[in-house]
Parts: sequence; C-alpha cells; structure tokens
Amino acid sequence: MTQTLRDPREVIREEPLMHDPILRAVASGPATIGEIAERIGHPVHEVVYWVMGMRRYGHLVEGTEADDDGFFSYGAVDQGPAATLEECEYE
Amino acid sequence: MDYDVLVIGSGIGGMESSIKLADMGYKVLLVEKEASVGGRMILLSKVFPTLDCASCISGPKMSSTINHPNITTMAFSEVAGITKNGDGRFTAKVREWAKYVDWAACTGCDACQKACTVAVPDQFNANLAARRAAYIAFPQAVPKKAVLQREGTSPCIGACPAGIKAHGYVSLVRSGKYEEAFQLVLDATPLVGTLGRACYAPCESECTRMKLEGPVPIRLLKRFAADKHYSGQDSGTPAIEVAEPNGRRVAIVGSGPAGLTAAWQLARQGYGVTILEKRSTPGGYLRHAIPAYRLPQDVVDADIANLTSIGVEIRCNVSVSDPEALKADGYDAVIVATGTQVATRMDVPGEDAEGSVNGLDFLAAVSNGAAPELTGKRVVVVGGGNVAMDAARVSLRLGAREARVAYRRTRAEMPAHHVESKDAEAEGAVFELLVAPTEIVTRGGLVTGVRLQRMRLGAPDASGRRSPEPIPGSEYTLDCDLVISTIGMSPDPTPFAALADKRGRITVDPRTLQTSIPFLFAAGDVTAGATDITRAIGSGRRAAHMVDRWLTAQPLDGFTVLDDRLETISADTVLARQTAFGHRHPVSGDVTLTKDPRDFTEIEAPLTELQARAGAGSCLDCGVCSECQECVKSCPAFAIRMDQRDQLHDFEVGAVVVATGHKLFAADLKPEYGFGQFPNVITGMQMDRLLAPTRPFNSVLRPGDGKVPERIAYVSCTGSRDKTVGNPLCSKFCCMYSIKQNQLIMGALPLADVTMHYMDMRAAGKRYEEFYTQAQDMGAIYIKGRVSKITEQDNGDLLLRYEDIEHGGHIVEASYDLVVLAVGIQPNRDVDRLFGQTPLGLDEYYYVAEPSAELNPGQTTIPGVFVAGTASGAKDIVDTILHSGAAVAQVAAHLEHHHFTEEALV
Repeated sequence: MTQTLRDPREVIREEPLMHDPILRAVASGPATIGEIAERIGHPVHEVVYWVMGMRRYGHLVEGTEADDDGFFSYGAVDQGPAATLEECEYE
Repeated sequence: MDYDVLVIGSGIGGMESSIKLADMGYKVLLVEKEASVGGRMILLSKVFPTLDCASCISGPKMSSTINHPNITTMAFSEVAGITKNGDGRFTAKVREWAKYVDWAACTGCDACQKACTVAVPDQFNANLAARRAAYIAFPQAVPKKAVLQREGTSPCIGACPAGIKAHGYVSLVRSGKYEEAFQLVLDATPLVGTLGRACYAPCESECTRMKLEGPVPIRLLKRFAADKHYSGQDSGTPAIEVAEPNGRRVAIVGSGPAGLTAAWQLARQGYGVTILEKRSTPGGYLRHAIPAYRLPQDVVDADIANLTSIGVEIRCNVSVSDPEALKADGYDAVIVATGTQVATRMDVPGEDAEGSVNGLDFLAAVSNGAAPELTGKRVVVVGGGNVAMDAARVSLRLGAREARVAYRRTRAEMPAHHVESKDAEAEGAVFELLVAPTEIVTRGGLVTGVRLQRMRLGAPDASGRRSPEPIPGSEYTLDCDLVISTIGMSPDPTPFAALADKRGRITVDPRTLQTSIPFLFAAGDVTAGATDITRAIGSGRRAAHMVDRWLTAQPLDGFTVLDDRLETISADTVLARQTAFGHRHPVSGDVTLTKDPRDFTEIEAPLTELQARAGAGSCLDCGVCSECQECVKSCPAFAIRMDQRDQLHDFEVGAVVVATGHKLFAADLKPEYGFGQFPNVITGMQMDRLLAPTRPFNSVLRPGDGKVPERIAYVSCTGSRDKTVGNPLCSKFCCMYSIKQNQLIMGALPLADVTMHYMDMRAAGKRYEEFYTQAQDMGAIYIKGRVSKITEQDNGDLLLRYEDIEHGGHIVEASYDLVVLAVGIQPNRDVDRLFGQTPLGLDEYYYVAEPSAELNPGQTTIPGVFVAGTASGAKDIVDTILHSGAAVAQVAAHLEHHHFTEEALV
C-alpha cells in the first residue's frame, strides 16, 4: 500500500468530479470502498474521502452492517438513471 | 464605554468567563473567529472521566452564551488589535468578516451546502472529510447559520473585463451541471457560444494552474456548455428569468457585443428593447469581421436568438443619427454601441486603386457572401493586428497563392494575439517584418504591388513599444494583386459628431457611460476605441445597469459586477495551501491547421465530455467559493449576500479576557510516526471526531480503506514531553483523552483490541486513576515504552517498533490496523499580535504569562487584561472552567476598583 499520499485538499477538491464515476460504480448495487476504488481506478484511501463526502451530502448511504472483513457497503441514495459517461477515469 | 469586558475566544474558557461575568451584571462582548461558539469542546465525543456527552454539556453553555441578555456575541470575527487608553480602558478593533449570508434571514437549513459545487477539507472534522465552500460549521453550531468561504476573487474572474464568473462555470462543469454552467454565463451576456470560440481568454492567462502545468481550458469549457445547450431540447426557449414588462422602452444603436449585451440585460429587467442596426444582419464584428472558421455564423445566430426569444426587437437596415428623434419616438433612453466602423487609412499614393481595400470591408464582404475571387492571386496585408491575421487567413481560404503580412515592427511587438499570428503562419501566411508601405503600385488602375520601406526600431513610443524608423534608401516593391490595409480602426464620428472627441469616440463618464445628454449612454468600442469582445460586453453590462438606475431615479452607481469585486487572490497564496501538487495533463483545444486551407470549416474541435470534466477538474478553486450561484438559487430564505464585505468596528471596553485556547501539535513534525504519509495513522482529535455522534464517517473506520479496525494502537506524548520538537512540556490531558477514547472504542467496537504505548500514565485528577483502572478492566492494554518508528505494510496495517520497558526492555514490533497519535498542545501564538506595540507578556514556552499565578491566577502582564483557560498553559476542561472562574473574579475586582461599569452603555 505504501505510496505517496496526495495532499488531502487536492483529493477532496476532486470530489464533485468523482460523483458520476462513483454513482456508476454502485449503479448495480452497493459496493465497499475497496470495490468502488477498483471499479473507478483510484487509490482506495482517496475514495474514502469521496465516498464520505458523498455520504454526508446525501448521494450515498451505507448498509446497516459491515461484512465479515469489516467493510461497509455504500449505495446510491437516488436510484435514478446511472451516469452517462462511458468511462470513469478522468486523469 | 461600549462594554465592560471583551472576551476573546468562545471555547469553554471563553464561554464560561462570559456567562459568569454576564450573570454578575457586566456587559460582555464575546468575539469568536469561527462561525459558531463552542471552541474545541463541542467537537469532542465525550468528556473524561464521566463520559458525559460533550455536546450535551457544551450545547446549553453555547445557547446560554448566545442568548444571554448581557452578552453580545460576534461570531466569524477577529480582534484586529487592542490599545490601552490613558484612562485604563481599552479600545478594541474588531473585524467582522463577511459571511456572505444574511444571518437574520438564514434558517440553517443546509440547502446551500448541498448545492455548493466546491469541496474543501472540513476543519471541524479534523480534515477527515470534505465540507463545502458554503457551510454550516457543524450540526450543533450556535448560531446555526451558514457562511460562504470566500478568500478573494478567483484570478480568472478578476481578469475578465466582462465580469463573467469563470470559476463558477468551471466548477459547474466539474460537477456535471452543464446547463447551469451555460446559464451562469448567460446571466452576463447572451453571447455564450461566441465567447466560447472567439474570446482571447484573459482568464486563462491569469489561471493559477499556469504556474503548474498549464491553465484550465476555461474558454473551451464555456464552449462546451454552450454547445451542450444549443444542441439540446431547451435551445431556443427563454432560458432565463425575465421580469414583467415595466412599460419603459430603450433603443440600442448597434448590434455588436456591447449592444447585444446591453439589450439582454435590460430586456430581462422588463424593458422594451429595440436594437437598431445599420447593416442588414445583426452581430456587428461577430458576424461581419470574425471569419467563420473561428466563429461560425450559426453560433452567432444561436446567441442572438437568446435575445429575440425574450422579446428583444432587432431592426436592421436602420441608420440612426439623431438620438432626439428616438426620444421623440417614445424611447426613454438610448444606448449607442456602434463600435469602430472606420478603417484607418494608410495615406499612401494609390490607396484607392482597384485592388486596394481595407480589412473591415474585405472581411465583411466575405461574411456576407461577396468574397472576391482570389484564386492564384498574391495578397499583401498591411498591419499586424488580429484583423491582419484574419485577412491573411481568409485570403488563403479564398484561394490566394500567397498571403504576406507586412508589419512595421518585429514579431515581438505585433499586436495580434500570439495564437492568431502563430496559426496564421501555420496556415501559410508569410510575415514581412520591419517594413512600412510608401505606395500602392498600380498599372492601368489596378494594383500590381506595394512599395515597402524597411524600418528599424528606435526609442519606445507612448505605448511602450519601440518606434519604427525608416531606413533611408531601403525601399523595395512587393508584387501583389490585392493589398488589404488593416492598420487600425476607429468609431465613425459622423452620426454623433457633437458628442465625439477628436478621435471620433463618444465622450462619456467612464463609470456611468452617460453622455452629456442625460438619456443618452454609450458603450463599447465607440467610447474606448478598438478593444475586444470581453471589454465590449463588460461595457454593455455597465451601460444597461446605469440606464436602469437612471430610469428608476437612482444614483448612477452600484455596478458591483466590475466595481466591487473582492481583491483577486494571489497565485502564491493559492499554491501555499498545499504541500505538493499532483501533475495533471493539461487539456487544450484540438486545432486543425493545414497549410493553404481552402474552406471555412471551424478549425477548433470541441472538448469531449471527458475532456471537459478533466479540464474542469484541474481547477484549484483559488477563491474557494466559485461564485457559481448555486447557493443563491437554492436558498429558500434568499439569504445569500455576495455583496457583503468585512466591517471594522471600534469598541471601548473596561477589561479584556484572553481565552484564545491552544493549538494542537502538528503530527507530521514527527515523521517517524508517518502521519500524512500513512492514511491509517491519525491524531487523537481525529479519533474523537470518529467517535462523536456527528462523526464524518458512518462508524469508526480507518481512513485508508474504510475498514472497521480491530487492532488499534495509541502512541502517547506525540509532540509533548519531547525536546526534539521543542516542547518539553506535558500536555496534561492526552493520557486521559486517550483512555477515554480507549473506553469508547471498546464500547463502539466490542471486538476491537486497544493498546496504548505510553511513557508515564498521568491520571492526576478527581477519579482519573479510577478511570484508568476502569479502562484496564475493560480490556485495554497499556505498554510502557516510547514508540520509535511506525512503518506501513502492504495491506495498510501499521508496524510499531517500541521498547517494552516492563518486560525486559526488548525491542518489539507489533502490527495494528489503526494508530492514533495522542498529540499534545502548543501555545496559540495569535495572541502575539493582539496588543500591538505593548504586547502581552508570554512565558518561556510562549503561553500567556501569569506573573502571579499562585496568588492571582488569570492576571497577565497588562493590568486589565486577564487570561482564561489553555491560553496560559495546558489544562483539561475541568481546570479550564476553574481557571476561567478565577479570571472572572479578577475581572470583577478590576472593574469595580476602577468604577468603569457605571459608564457602560449597553
């Protein structure tokens, strides 16, 4: 896991940009942060910032219990149409 | 005297001091820098040793503070300075920061934060998660009111002469709100598509990202939003709110960017607007000068349709020369925006021969379907501005064999935008530099060439550019079939001669754009000479604003769009916010340039959606708030006030209580512990937030991957009792808050193992030792020995290396899911600047000194100034409250001794 962490401000600034990819990643059902990170191709610790921001402002909601490995799943609050972008990678 | 006491800081020490003094009848002014009272305590989970809910204890005190009749609270304010007067009183200068929200109207509903498009670290959650630029400090905030974090005007907005909120629409595109981005530009001008193509984007030149790898593609984002809108179903319908007709009529003469923009703004306010255009089609230079390969005609049509869709009438083939006649026709006001229609003559022999034209007429003819036949011909364009580049490139598209641009200075002095000259060259234009025409050579009345004289650069002229000087005997003839003169343009002085200066420009008041005839205003290049689209748009907006003010009998001021912007934030300030910046590949336009092009197809491709989002994603949010206006639109109480500004107040007070608290140790100053390097190393304050009911996550999770941790380690004395970081002091409460968290974790995560690595366990307080024992009984493990190093494993777990002092002193390594650094405290050096030339005395560790702490706790080195709480040294909450009580008693004695209170006004 060892890697250089980006400045949190930079990661957090990208949250609005990541809403669509993350909502796409959970369009078929709730997913853990690790699963979301794998689907959108970003480091898991950065996805934590984005998922928690989206949770706070009403885009995502967590399941009631963590799985056996200790991970919660997060799903879209609004199960409307999935994002239209074909790809999730912006960088 | 305004208040008996000024209390600085509304943590538990400040609130306790304020409430007690107020209860005693003193009038208190409490100044708090955050948007809520409560300090750090309200952010804690629980308090030790009782494990009472911190909110449950703080909340009532916060409420009492705000609602006490003897306390005036100024939240989101700072004390800028305090001076002691000759009579022993103090004058405090308090800066009330603009909140950009009318707190009297704000209901704390949080609609603004949900609508906000800018995410920043949430300092109230110890930066574990995001908040928005529009924010309420925290859920239990008192008062529960929103503020907008604006740290200045973003450079892109500050650079725009049209006052267009570039940062705003960039932020909207980043959020996928494309229509909102279009609407934001539309709020300024109907020419969204035009600007997306033909603007020279001064915003991008000032973009802070320029200092990294390249600017945000701001102009192309505008084009992206415009293209999205115009290609969508909503195109053609009124896209913006329009007021009911107000019965007044305004005539606008000229349909260039200034006139169209002025018409747009006035029509939206309910005015009946008629545009009178001399040519057969509207658009001014947008249609008649800018070639279609840069600005397609259908884009101009779509932009102008915005106007007609809200009822603006455009009458073409109408010349106006008598504004009084318009007044007689029933127009209440007139705006002249006729631009610069007259080409500057070269004044050389042969200029009027067939085959010699000026650039404006040439480009207009091409735009209107009357392009000359240039196949195989040689063209010389005289001049070095943008019109010259357009003329050369258009000539090539019309089949010219060659297009030479003859310019009297060097490339460096060329007034054309560097992109235009570069592109012209790429398409085959050839530059003849340091030459000036002396004659148009003709044979049989037809142009056969141009006589040029070589020049050299002399001393700088008034424009700062070096003046060209002829080189005697250096003339030569350049053979050609067509000469296009593009050496300048100016307004046509004829229609409004009485109002024009010697350059033909209509004379106006530069701020009001009003002429000497009260009902007549003028805007754009007709007043300023040839500029560019953005300046014309800004001028059109100003003229519309002033006409509205004049017609409604208001003072001709208040044009806040350009006249009252916050100071533009510097790039250095923006870049200093981060320790490092990740590299992003700049997104730029894909321009297709071919040598000797033969058609007028648009040369620049639009951004794809992915490019647009990626480009917008590189924005650094310089001003923090992007001015996207989403909060304005979403606020049900109409409480957003972007025009609020900081206010300075002077208050005379009898005494001062410094309750400015402490700072937390910056854990990254202990690099061996990996804070900031390993996501699963957090601070005690961050853990308190994770344990609090208003936590940033849905549970106690590790930030590295969102996992519920099962093995949690605490490292005590991080940054305290540590001479290597310059702090030999014990912070007094770290042991106890760690034990508190140990217990809370075991309650929240029953399966978790909690281990604390400590040097000494300091549990010196009522029931503290029992509290420690209780944690041990619950299963927490306490290991004596300082941790020397933390390393990260591939799965994000952390390996702690420490000396196990109580079991033989062996070096041991243990693995954990999550490590909590029990950081100590540091003095808050903000107090240094409070008292200016006679600063408050500090002790050797930079806490506020109490010269007689044993006998007179709370007294400082300045008579009449007292200290409460951790501003004078480490204290837990209980001791802070006790210390505040002592300070209050000192304040009361001081006030009574000096009889200041009898004069209090409040």
